[in-house]
Amino acid sequence: MMATVTETKARYDELKLSARVFLANKTAVAGLVIFLIFVGDALIVQIAPGILGVQYPNDVIPPQITQTNPECTGMPPEPPSIAHPFGTIQYGLSGIGCLDLLQLVMKAIRIDLAISFFIVLVGAAAGTLLGVVSGYFGKWLDEVVMRVTDVFFSVPFIILALAVGYVIGRTLFNMALALIIIWWPLYARYGRSLTLTTKEATFIESARAAGSGRLKIMFRHILPNVMPPVLVQISLDVGTVLLIFSTLAFIGFLPSGALVPELGVIANIGLDFAQFGYWWTVIVPGGIITLFALAVNLMGDGLRDVIDPRRRS
Amino acid sequence: MKLWVYVVRRLILLIPTLIGLTFLVFALEHAGGTSLFLAAYIDPHLTGTARQQLVDELTTKFHLNDPVYVQYLYWLAAILQGDWGTSTTIRQPVATGFLWFMPNTIMLTAIASLLTWVISVPIGVYSAARRDSILDQGVRVATFTLYSMPIFLIGFALFFTLGTAWGVLPAQFNIDLILLPTIPSAWFDHTNSVSYPTHILALDAFLHGDWAIAWNAFLHVILPAVSLALALLAGIIRILRASMLEVLEQDYVRLARAKGVPERVVQNFHAKKNALLPTVTSYGYLVSGLFGGAVVIEDIFTFKGIGWWTTRAFLTDDVGVVMGSTLVFGLILVTTTLLLDLLYAFLDPRIRYE
Repeated sequence: MMATVTETKARYDELKLSARVFLANKTAVAGLVIFLIFVGDALIVQIAPGILGVQYPNDVIPPQITQTNPECTGMPPEPPSIAHPFGTIQYGLSGIGCLDLLQLVMKAIRIDLAISFFIVLVGAAAGTLLGVVSGYFGKWLDEVVMRVTDVFFSVPFIILALAVGYVIGRTLFNMALALIIIWWPLYARYGRSLTLTTKEATFIESARAAGSGRLKIMFRHILPNVMPPVLVQISLDVGTVLLIFSTLAFIGFLPSGALVPELGVIANIGLDFAQFGYWWTVIVPGGIITLFALAVNLMGDGLRDVIDPRRRS
Repeated sequence: MKLWVYVVRRLILLIPTLIGLTFLVFALEHAGGTSLFLAAYIDPHLTGTARQQLVDELTTKFHLNDPVYVQYLYWLAAILQGDWGTSTTIRQPVATGFLWFMPNTIMLTAIASLLTWVISVPIGVYSAARRDSILDQGVRVATFTLYSMPIFLIGFALFFTLGTAWGVLPAQFNIDLILLPTIPSAWFDHTNSVSYPTHILALDAFLHGDWAIAWNAFLHVILPAVSLALALLAGIIRILRASMLEVLEQDYVRLARAKGVPERVVQNFHAKKNALLPTVTSYGYLVSGLFGGAVVIEDIFTFKGIGWWTTRAFLTDDVGVVMGSTLVFGLILVTTTLLLDLLYAFLDPRIRYE
């Protein structure tokens, strides 16, 4: 009884220290705040889009806009103003205009965040598990897993994603799938290298001496120690993966008819006009992507300080 | 371990990667039956009996009714002989297209890496040496922001400002379109827009003494190369700065300072050389970003290299090119990584003992 009380207290102190280390880092806190704003936007658009004035959260072009606002057909993009803080865009050179960019960005954040988290979480779960198993068993299994990851690392990310995506079909879900296929090897290697160092620790030896089986050692002793650095990596990768898939969408991964409000797709629509002076049509969606990646990187840096004992003092 | 033993070991490790890479491309091309594979080899306009005849020919040639490993071997044999299918975008064999467009991409990436190296080394070293100064903080903010930008935003920003809006540098194609008809057909194939002998327009014009064309073609390389360098250098500066900070804490640096070696010499001689070594290996990882980035940058600037060709092929269902690019970019990346590893082992003997 006494032991559990001190244990809980120790865990609580540990958490308090972690929070203090993180909060002492001003830029990391700023990153966290921006990140939370993005998450808040995504949640509101998911649950009650009306609060933000967002309509049709899954469409770039609101249905029936040609009937309700006939003047919008052929309307060129308008620059940022009070009515449209981010300006408007037009779809296609003589297509439907007056699409409010702020609205589109708010819709897109929900979809972009969902895809980012989906890719990174699935990729990290699959990769880390495989890495831990291969690092713990070693021998031929480890050799095979590492050679397979070598193959995935031997083609530049974007090219491999294009090729895989081309074969499985150009849809939003398949784009996420293609990125998971190229993402897991990173975590397999990371999980493996963390396992290799943890494996040698004395507490693993004592667990083995106490008669714990392989599965128990792997999942009860090694995995919990591998998780914290993997979680930091996940937090950093949510930004990186957004950079990659929005770039894929920008170069036209999704067929031109598939109008999903996604930041890369919006920038791609804008590119038709941007070169004629309508710069905001690409800079705004690109800037939003940058802001998110920046926030995540700042936050990740702070988290790394928290779990690295050498950097907390 | 002797250097040559390391080289041999490294070359042996290359074999499974190469088998895996070719098998990956083979598997992608043959996923879900033979339709993708056939599309890479058959002109889509071909119909009826002529098409059926070609299908039968290909089935015998590539042993499409045999087990997968047999198919793989016949496919590999054809690939090694340069039979990569036919491209619908250029109406030529895929292999010919790679010969045409590859030199441009190699030149672009070479210039971009050189620029990256030349810019990031002094900045990284200087920023670490004056840690927490205003300049260092500025460098950190700038690299952090640049590091978080999608590559298309960097490319577009330069395309729009220096290219279209202010007109400082040309931002589209490999040469001004107005100059295109003036290129002598002695060394330029006007139907396919390909120059001879190197297929790099600026270099070929230079070799043939057409200064105006050479200069114009050279100007067209600057913006894509600078964009690509900007996309890469943030990562390099960050690695270099961290590595330099670590080296500056080492005992031998303290000793050098203690014996009165001037700070400038300590930084440039004792510290910089050792800080650069780990950066060389990380540079290998960035090579992947370099070629991936080249695809996006070539697309934005309509710069006719294999990246531009690949995106074009992707959008117009030119299967042979999409698959061929995966293989070609894979081979380039594998080779570059190998060369960098060997260079590293040569520079730093410690690596051979690990």
